[in-house]
Order: sequence, then structure tokens, then C-alpha cells
Amino acid sequence: MNALRLLPRRIFAFIARDFRLFVSYRMQFFLRIVSVLAVVTTLFFISKIFAGFTDPQFSQWRDPLATWLTGLAVLNYFMTGFSSLANSIRQEQMQGTLESVLLTPINLPTVIVASSAWDFLETTFFSFLYLFFGRVFFGVQFRGSFLLAFLFLLLTTVVLSCLGILSASFAMVFKRGDPFGIFIGAGSALFSGVFFPTQLLNTYAGSKLGSISLILPTTHGLDGIRQVLIEGHGFAQVTQPLIVLLGFLVVLLPFSLWVFGRAVRRAKREGSLIQY
Amino acid sequence: MSDLTISIENLSKTYPEPFRRLRTFFGRPVKEPVEALRDVSFDVHTGEIFGLIGRNGAGKTTLTKIVATLVQPTTGSVTVRGHDSVNHDEQVRRDIGLATAEERSFYWRLTAEQNLLFFARLHGLADRFAKQRINDLFAKLELDEVARRRFGELSTGNKQRLAVARAMLASPPVLLLDEPTRSLDPLAAARMRDMIRSLAQQDPPVTILFTSHNLAEVETLCARVAIISRGRIRAIDTPKNLRDLTSGSELVHITVSNGEKVSFTRQHNDNRLDETIRNLQTQGERIIDIETERATLLDVLERYETAADTDRKTDERT
Repeated sequence: MNALRLLPRRIFAFIARDFRLFVSYRMQFFLRIVSVLAVVTTLFFISKIFAGFTDPQFSQWRDPLATWLTGLAVLNYFMTGFSSLANSIRQEQMQGTLESVLLTPINLPTVIVASSAWDFLETTFFSFLYLFFGRVFFGVQFRGSFLLAFLFLLLTTVVLSCLGILSASFAMVFKRGDPFGIFIGAGSALFSGVFFPTQLLNTYAGSKLGSISLILPTTHGLDGIRQVLIEGHGFAQVTQPLIVLLGFLVVLLPFSLWVFGRAVRRAKREGSLIQY
Repeated sequence: MSDLTISIENLSKTYPEPFRRLRTFFGRPVKEPVEALRDVSFDVHTGEIFGLIGRNGAGKTTLTKIVATLVQPTTGSVTVRGHDSVNHDEQVRRDIGLATAEERSFYWRLTAEQNLLFFARLHGLADRFAKQRINDLFAKLELDEVARRRFGELSTGNKQRLAVARAMLASPPVLLLDEPTRSLDPLAAARMRDMIRSLAQQDPPVTILFTSHNLAEVETLCARVAIISRGRIRAIDTPKNLRDLTSGSELVHITVSNGEKVSFTRQHNDNRLDETIRNLQTQGERIIDIETERATLLDVLERYETAADTDRKTDERT
């Protein structure tokens, strides 16, 4: 109960720490903003090649720039949900600060959740920048319920965080060579429909390879968000991706927490929690 | 001094070879598990400064980390103020502060003050109280002038003092101090020792588990000392009793006015020193200096190390 009461203060402690570390590298911040603008501008010019040529069967791709920007912004977010939990442990291990953090009356799950809070704030800002630059400089229009899109974003991020917990468990025991990272990281950009419709995978790479996209939560999350923001669909029309995501959550949440508990016990037994 | 603050019972720790079964399955070489501690038992009383001495790799760090809940014991138990270090680890961490000489345990791009504020928040201290506490600790440990400097810019001595300040942030009733004066100049080290002594004497007193390779410092500060070697506690007693156990005699050198030296060995409980002084004075000699050479903690440590070596060889033979 006491830990729950102190949770906001502890999350704030990590956010304040990471903000201070972040602003100590001002140049990096500035360059990242410039790089987002450069990507959006590049995509704008590429999208002009396809103006008027989009296949009508791909309803989400009528304005490729809007679809790419949503894809990049959301993928950015999803990847943070997936990777930041394991990264927070890895980073503290490598810096040598994990031991001193774990010496405070704070449990490991709190450390992981709180130390990834800043990543989410930072990603929210940069993901928003993709949409903001698209809207302000290139007139990209988004419609539909932003609340419903946010629900998809939240749900997919939680599902990916479950995979992130598995990844963090792996980092704790094996230290490096996380298979979840390779599967989700490389797989999402290729199979989730960030840059092209997933239906093309079936057409050109065969149904077996195409079906990979169906087992990635990012595919369903991205599809739901695009249905809402680009096609303007309401709740009744997006129940299918919503149910799939809830299915992922029901399976992955208890499983990942069970694996995490075992990994922590193992690392404490071996005395390897702070090694990297 | 009768309350127990730290109680260690039959504590053993063996670091297993990770993925032993997997390695065996793939025919990879398997190393033997490392036995870091074997059947360690002792108590530390409230307000006591308890010293732990031993060679590198003797098991001091493992023992400290188990008390600090960072590592779980294989068998046995550690209780801090009645709380088990495995089952009530958060409560134990609330009661202890650990200061190590590890520089990498801080954020190098944050200032000394920002570092401590971060850890104070993790301890659940409200910002206003935390800032006041940090200022008090900076004053006490003479860190005021470097409070706003980045950790990476601090001298090794100041980094060490900051580690001690961090351990004291939440005013824990138990401090685990691992070589707290290692990088300090002689004056700063003396002040640190005074502070440690005053912590144990304050009301309520702080209980201190102190490890150091500076045996003179251990002798000055600690009420009792445990000698640890190859994971086993070889002896626990007051520094004086440990010295007496090793050698009940001392070598005495008396220098008289003409520069001559009279040297002899005496037992601690005999009256040979009185007799010799009396005889010299009767002969009209003026005594200008008396020096004694007693067994030191180093002698004690050497003796137990030799015994441990013998034990090991016997174990290997059997």
C-alpha cells in the first residue's frame, strides 16, 4: 500500500533524472527534431510520385503521406513500449547504477516501469512531431475519434510492454542477444504495414510469409489506428482489431509477469542482477 | 548495547554456474560452483561499530551484499532489526544505507545535489525535507562547495564522501560502510572516523558494519572485529582480545640518557617493566623513551590466513 502511495513520487524521480540527463545533451535534442522534419519532408516528396495512382482496394493508402506518418509515429511509440523496459535495466546495469537504485526501498518492477516513463514522454513528443509537421507544413488531414485512436495506442503499447517484460527478463538472465527484440524490432517494420499494405505480402511473398503479419500485435494496432484516423471509422467498425489485441493481452500479461518473477529470482540467486 | 540489530545465522552462499544443465547438455565445459561463504554466524548489537576484515575475495563483499538484500543466500538467514533479508527485503532496505567505493554507482552528468535528490525521492522523502537533509549532509561532510558540480568533475575523495552522504540520506539505523576512507586525505579520513564514531554514539544510535583494509582504522573504530577468510569467520572478538589471543607478550625497548637501549620481552600480566625501570633508576640512569612492539591486527590476520591455508590443504588431501 505504501509502495503504491509512493509510486508517483518515484516515477517523478526517474522522469526528473532523465529530463536532466536529456537536457545535458541539448544538441542531440535539436538534431532529432531536425531529423523528424527531414523524414516528413522526404516522405512528402515520395508521396507525390504516387499522387492519383493509389490502388482503390487499399483504402487506408489514398493519401500515402498520412498513412506513412501515422505508421512511423505509432511504430515509434510501439517500439518504446516494447524496448524501453529491457533497455532501462540494461542501461542501469551498464552504467553501474542499478545496484544503488536497488538499494533503496523500491522493488524491481517499479524500477523498470518508472525508469521507462521518460522514454514514453520523449516518444510521445517525437511521435506527435511527425503528425504535427505533416499537418502544419504539408496539409495532412486526420479525422475520426482521437480518443478511440488513443485507446488503440494504449492497448497496443500495453501488449507490447508484455513482450517488453519478456525481453527484460531475458536481459536479466542472458544479458545480451534478446530474441524478442529481433523478432519484434525487425519484424514490425517489414510485416506490420508501416510502409506498405500488408496485403502485398500475400500477393508477392506468398500467404505463409504474409501470415506473419497476423501474429504481430503491431499490425492490428496500426490497422485500428489507421481505420480511425484515416478512414474515419467508429467503434463498431474497429471491433475486430480491438478483440485481437485484447486476446494478445489476456495471454501475454500473466505469462510475462510469471516469467519476470522467475528471472528476478534466478538473477538474485546467481548474484548476477547487476552484471552485464 | 544489548539489542540485536543484525543477526546472521549459518549463512552460506554458493554461486552456481549459470545454465549448468544446458552446458552439460551441449557438452560444454562446466565450472565448479564458487563457495563464497560457509556457515557464517554472528550478531551485531545496536550502536555497535562492527569491523569485518579479510583479504580480497575472502567473502566480505558477498556478505555485505546479502545483508543489503542484493544477493540471496544459499542457506541460512540474515535478519536486520527483526526483518528477514529475503522475505522482507524492502523493509530491510528501508533500514540500511550502503556506502561503497564504487564510483560508477552515480550519474556522472548530474550534479552532486541532483544525484542525492534522485535517491532521496526513491527513498520516498518529500522534496522539501530531502533538500534540507541534503544541505545538512553536505555541510557535515564538507561537500557544500561541490554541491552544484557534476559528479564526473568531483575528486575521488569527494565522490567517496558523496557515497557516504547517500547512504545516510534516509537516516537509516544501520550503515554498511565499505572502505569509507579509502580515497580521503589524512585529515578528511580523521574527520570521517570522528563522524562514524559520533553516529554510533548519537541517540538513537546507528549500527555500523564496517569493512576496511586499513587495520589501524578498524582497531581505532570497531568495538568488535570479525576475521573472514575463504568464506568462513575465523574469529570474532574485540581488537585487544584478538591481539592478546595471538600473542600474550610484547617487546619493550627502553632508551636511557647515554643512548643505550635495553630490550626485553614481557607478558601482559607480569611486572617485568616495573622491575626494569626501577633497576635502571637505581643505577642512576635517566629514561628518555619507552617503545613497545605489540601484535597488531595484521599479525592476527596473518595467523588466521595461515591457519586457513592449512585447513584448505587438509581439505584437499581428504
